Amino acid sequence: MTRISLKVTGAQGQGVNSVGEMCAKGLKRIGYCVFGYREYMSLIKGGHSSYQLDISSEWIESTETEVDMLVCFNHHGLERNACEVKKGGIILHQTPQWKFSKEQQKFLDDRGVRTVYLPSEDVLKKLKAKPILGNVLVTSVVWALLGRKAEELQELVQEQFGHKGEKVIEMNFKCIEEGFAFLETIDPSTSLPTGQAGSGGKLKMENCLLLPKPNADWKNHLLITGSEAMGLGLIHAGCRMYCGYPMTPSSPLLSYIAGMQNKTGMIIKQAEDEITAAQMMSGAMHMGTRAATGTSGGGFDLMTETPSVFILAQRPGPATGLPTWTAQGDLLLAIGSSHGEFARCVMAVADAQDCFDLMPEAFNIAERYQTPVIVMTDKQIAEALFTQAPYDQKKAKVDRGLLITNPKELKKLKSTDRYDPDAKDGISPRWLPGAEAATYCAQGDEHSPDGSVDETAKNAVEQMEKRMKKMKAIERETPEPMLWRVQNGKCKEEKADVELDLLVVSWGSNKGVILDTLKGHKGQGPKTGYLHYTYMWPMKTERLKKLMAKAKRTVLVECNHSGQLGMVIQMAGGPAITEKILKYDGRPFFVDELLSKLS
Amino acid sequence: MSIPLDSGTAKKMSAFHCANQCTWCDGCGDYGIWTAVKRSLSELNIPPHGVLLCYDVGCHGNTSDKILGYRFHGLHGRVIPFAAGAKLANPKVPVIAFGGDGASFSEGVGHLVHGIRSNYPITFVLHNNGNYGLTTGQASSLTQQGQPMNTSPNGMPEHTLNSMDFVFSLEPTFVARAWSGDIAMMTRVLKAAIGHRGFAFVDILQACPTYNHFATHEMLLERCYDVNAEGYKPDDAVKARALALDTGKRIACGVLFQREDLPSFYERLEPRKNCKTTAVEEVQIVDTSEWGREFV
Repeated sequence: MTRISLKVTGAQGQGVNSVGEMCAKGLKRIGYCVFGYREYMSLIKGGHSSYQLDISSEWIESTETEVDMLVCFNHHGLERNACEVKKGGIILHQTPQWKFSKEQQKFLDDRGVRTVYLPSEDVLKKLKAKPILGNVLVTSVVWALLGRKAEELQELVQEQFGHKGEKVIEMNFKCIEEGFAFLETIDPSTSLPTGQAGSGGKLKMENCLLLPKPNADWKNHLLITGSEAMGLGLIHAGCRMYCGYPMTPSSPLLSYIAGMQNKTGMIIKQAEDEITAAQMMSGAMHMGTRAATGTSGGGFDLMTETPSVFILAQRPGPATGLPTWTAQGDLLLAIGSSHGEFARCVMAVADAQDCFDLMPEAFNIAERYQTPVIVMTDKQIAEALFTQAPYDQKKAKVDRGLLITNPKELKKLKSTDRYDPDAKDGISPRWLPGAEAATYCAQGDEHSPDGSVDETAKNAVEQMEKRMKKMKAIERETPEPMLWRVQNGKCKEEKADVELDLLVVSWGSNKGVILDTLKGHKGQGPKTGYLHYTYMWPMKTERLKKLMAKAKRTVLVECNHSGQLGMVIQMAGGPAITEKILKYDGRPFFVDELLSKLS
Repeated sequence: MSIPLDSGTAKKMSAFHCANQCTWCDGCGDYGIWTAVKRSLSELNIPPHGVLLCYDVGCHGNTSDKILGYRFHGLHGRVIPFAAGAKLANPKVPVIAFGGDGASFSEGVGHLVHGIRSNYPITFVLHNNGNYGLTTGQASSLTQQGQPMNTSPNGMPEHTLNSMDFVFSLEPTFVARAWSGDIAMMTRVLKAAIGHRGFAFVDILQACPTYNHFATHEMLLERCYDVNAEGYKPDDAVKARALALDTGKRIACGVLFQREDLPSFYERLEPRKNCKTTAVEEVQIVDTSEWGREFV
């Protein structure tokens, strides 16, 4: 599989994201699958951040450690990232009089890396353009170096800034023309062998980075972050209220869904703290709408059997940890955090597809079982850019479980039906405040069937067993983990419990990089497979047991220190996976890194 | 004190009757508040199924299974955001939140601040007995300084939080005060609060015969008076604040302050303007293709 990568680096606020996003959109429109990965620090301006695009005409969902083109807004990128440029790659920078150290220069010469200095400030001054237009100028040079046409970029700029008026567009177009012209008149003393320098001719294709042949299938795809995908998924699921407290990496979801409120009519509340957000969500769900909250921690409402949906966006801890980086360290928190015991369902999204598809599912489970559902994501999913097929709008159905709204049925209800311990699977009828029916108390104390406080031993046992019966029912309903195989470069679901040379077991955002890795995995022969966990609790281990018994080698891959999925599997009576590849430096796995660790 | 009931009230009140026996101490102020809540709902013609009563944790929370109506008994200190969330989901149903002074001025004081600031269209009833009763008489931030309590045998060392001064500093749109021995007064105040446009703060000074020996039923009986009956109009925040703070000789009860010109939180939500349905009625699968195209 041919893939190339492009990394833009600079201080936060310099335009790293703008250039990254513009290139991503342009490339996808031409017909590429683009995967965007952001690294940044917990500050507003300054620091060192990057936006990397991995580009292919085939499906990819991972990042490489080395890149084909490095764009540096300042010298930090030249110092820190130059060593990441691949053989024959290009560095585009804007630092006047820059000289690499001898060692660096030798390293770059050995690799045949070419360096282009773009005097952005001079060019902008000449054009009398505002500094902000530097982003378009840089993008146009990148675009030219990718061997693409100026018109493609102009079209994109027209679309993005068209509403700002003709003058703005004119200036943007000038910058694009200047960017393309710059490469043609480049000083021959730079290490880029332009060939055409000074001759007024066109940039030669051999000086460009060769993109693979585009594939038109990607053109109608969405370029979407996990947070945006999750926002759309919540809207799709009929969620009418969202409460949150800003905290990376759950805040992009809050921002997106808040930005959509005038279109969706949703009630959005930026709460004073996470507990407020959780309480407001619970109150709204209790009343009968669909509401959700997202955070990086969270509080769970116990015992009242109020359905609730929590989005738990992971980042490295403990304490404030690495606020703007990624991790999978909260699995035990999601499964275990509770005062006493109650039924719950924990699921984990893997990508922009899951972010959308699992939202209606989360609400359906919450309402069907009248219990909290925790949807786990992480910074990598929340902020990575996915190339995503348009969503199927017909697949999901609203299932509100035993919610009774029919006036005739409401009349028949008794208060004691609400928490009836004999209800099948522990799921008793639910009806909403305001409904013309017998009333009940959603009681936080241990209660009898109508919600009256009842501390007798007999009642305590009956009610605990009623609630916990739901776990069995959820377990029955949720699917086993899915087995993925790579065949002829394509990923396919494998229904059979086949014999494998290598079985990789993981969850969450690792899915994309693992599948990309298996595509490149030659050493183990073709018999590799990836078992992906979406439903984390209740935990199912039957399929894993069967596959592991047949597999020559099983490896657990996780972004945490303890191998938490492995622990949960064992907690649920599953086998111990002794070979583990664990990473806990705040970065996701990179495709070449994982390939070498698996080989 | 006479409690005149119109001929229909008693019958309506009986609809809220719950068979569970009350468990409060003899002489507890909760009996009076419990009665006044039933009576005010009845006089407003709100049936049990037409209201959501949300209780915090504490002695007052034990009302949750001594009255009919849709009820929620949640976590300590957290009743206001729960009630607010419920109300926003279905503004057609009146929502009343109840909390003690322990929950509302310590654990959950932030929620009180933002409840008033947000002007959620709910009623908040403060069961103000000046201590943590259910956990056997610890000092709350509204206990008198120097008062020996369960965990402060030498007297509470911190100074007492001036709750009314604090509440008025938050620019509330409705403040009332009553006391647990005057059911007629509580009924009048609660009815006004339930009818208020935004966040209604109702401070009910409550006798706690077991642990509060500094603000007793007798003391409240002696000092509390109906300020509205004396011709006071609750339309000036400065005057109301001064009146609320002046409790040395007499304690002014009744509606102390109210302004109806400010919209509630819900009314301020741009996406909900001209919206005839409630969020509860709107749950359905939404086709997002149009918004998805923004990402192509």
